[in-house]
Amino acid sequence: MAEKAIEAKKKGQKMSSEDYTYVGMVFHRLTRHKLAMVGAVMLIFILLFVFVGPLVWRVNPNQQIEGMGGLFNPPSRAHPIGTDDYGRDVLARMFFGGRISLFIGFISAISSTLVGAVVGLVAGYYGGWADDLLMRFTDAMLSIPTFPLLIALASVLGKGVWQIILVIVVFGWMADARLVRGLALSLKEQEYVEAARAIGASANRIMWRHLFPNTLAVLIVSTTIGIGGAIIYEASISFLGFGVQAPFASWGNMLQNAQQFIWKSPLLIIYPGLAIFMTVLGFNFFGDGLRDAIDPKLKL
Amino acid sequence: MRDYIIRRILGMIPLVLIVMIVSFGIFSLVPNPFAALMENPRIKRSDINRLIHAWGFDLPWYLRFFKWFGGVVRGDWGPSLLYPGSLARDVIARALPVTVRVMGIELLVSLAIALPIGIISAVKQYSATDYIVTVISFLGMSMPTFWFGLLVMMLFSVVLKRPNGMPLLPAGGIITPGLEDAPFWAKLGDRAQYLVMPVFVLAFSSVGSWTRYMRSSMLEVIRQDYIRTARSKGVPERSVINKHALRNAMIPIVTLIALSVPVIVGGAAITETIFNIPGMGSLIIQAEIKADYPTAMIGLLLTSVLVIAFNLVADIVYAWVDPRIKYS
Repeated sequence: MAEKAIEAKKKGQKMSSEDYTYVGMVFHRLTRHKLAMVGAVMLIFILLFVFVGPLVWRVNPNQQIEGMGGLFNPPSRAHPIGTDDYGRDVLARMFFGGRISLFIGFISAISSTLVGAVVGLVAGYYGGWADDLLMRFTDAMLSIPTFPLLIALASVLGKGVWQIILVIVVFGWMADARLVRGLALSLKEQEYVEAARAIGASANRIMWRHLFPNTLAVLIVSTTIGIGGAIIYEASISFLGFGVQAPFASWGNMLQNAQQFIWKSPLLIIYPGLAIFMTVLGFNFFGDGLRDAIDPKLKL
Repeated sequence: MRDYIIRRILGMIPLVLIVMIVSFGIFSLVPNPFAALMENPRIKRSDINRLIHAWGFDLPWYLRFFKWFGGVVRGDWGPSLLYPGSLARDVIARALPVTVRVMGIELLVSLAIALPIGIISAVKQYSATDYIVTVISFLGMSMPTFWFGLLVMMLFSVVLKRPNGMPLLPAGGIITPGLEDAPFWAKLGDRAQYLVMPVFVLAFSSVGSWTRYMRSSMLEVIRQDYIRTARSKGVPERSVINKHALRNAMIPIVTLIALSVPVIVGGAAITETIFNIPGMGSLIIQAEIKADYPTAMIGLLLTSVLVIAFNLVADIVYAWVDPRIKYS
């Protein structure tokens, strides 16, 4: 912080109160990270597209046009990016599909992180046999090739949004568990933890009120990057036919559906794929910048 | 060191058991494939029951696990359900070389491209080159392979044509039918055409992450004191980078390469599906959906055991290339 004050003085700037808080400092570094800002702009654009779009473009995404003339329409005034194999408006489907894809991405990334945090905190804080047991299990889960089991579970559990989230979480918590365990191991040796223990704080309280907040910065970074990964997982599951079911749209199942018409209407493949790509890219850019802003040495 | 390795190898046993039980448990959720036969009045009830019994579907999953495990211990991996009449072992043995060829070439290609680029990007940190490399790496890392695969296929098999009207590259498969018995070189050339697109699609995403790893490892080393010492002694820049920095920066990369060897066997389910490659990734998924647990279990175990083994290999290699590290 002192260095920063000197640096600010050299440039003849005043230190604002923003520069003194941790969040302010991270924010300051983040705004100077070019790629992070590119990512942020992309994400804002996508969120506006998905959430404000349907308010402007009020078309039912499942409304089918009767008759052959309505199918595979090229872009026109009535359908800005055309219609699909059922004569449904692709733009409207992109909005609603995006909502579902983003929802699955957010909820499964956050839940995976929380599950990982619980496992990591318990293993790191208690140590001993609890640590051995949990980490052996984590290691085993990490050495199983995730994707085939993910597909097996998805094919059994059913094709709802929550089932897919569950599947992604079951195979997504391990990296966070290891990360949090490592942090907990070093944090629990700190004086404030000892002080908390001395005044009789329970293990639960120490884990959640003292250790967890100190892992939060790292967890936010890993969640941000995880959202991109979860969106790819959802799309991959859908691509193999085990994802969100028709008539509901998700970017993944739109792509899977369009695959059969690759010769007839290649544009139907471009839109959802491009949307997934841009979203994941945005989260990766932003997550990378966030990591640099919080701690450049962090290995995630 | 010897004690360390022995202890680690013993530690693998519970790990492999957990892997077996978890994967078997998940596979057992897939509904019994013989239940559908019951609907067919032309098949005798007793025949169906005999099949169900032979496959262990009349047992709860944990007993079926023991039945399967007992066979495995005796070296009997069971027959395949997906390909009736074949042993699960043979089904895997057919898919394995296909996947190893694609994934092995992909790994070599990615490393050959990514490592030099990562080094240049690190040496010229914050230059225009570095920014371009970083952006392209991120593009690769964020690219959904299923989408990119379709785009590449559209380009090379639909848009671009040969003079004789044939697609520039074959859209899928591994060899032109009828060429299986062709002379070696003709076969090699033919197979190579089928490899171009899948290798390109897979490499585009993995080059991104390898470049990032190489770059950050190199950056970490370049900041060290001994690099400054070398420079101040007047060692030429080329030799500072190639001898002093690179050798140390390669240490984590070598272990990462060891860790990615198992992927060569596991395959890439999505890319294999798109390009119609009969490899391990797509085989395992087809097998598990059809409740062909013997085949799927061999596939998964092969990868898992390699992951666990190569974790140890990586640690040993790490200690071998970096004498500062001691295990006890």
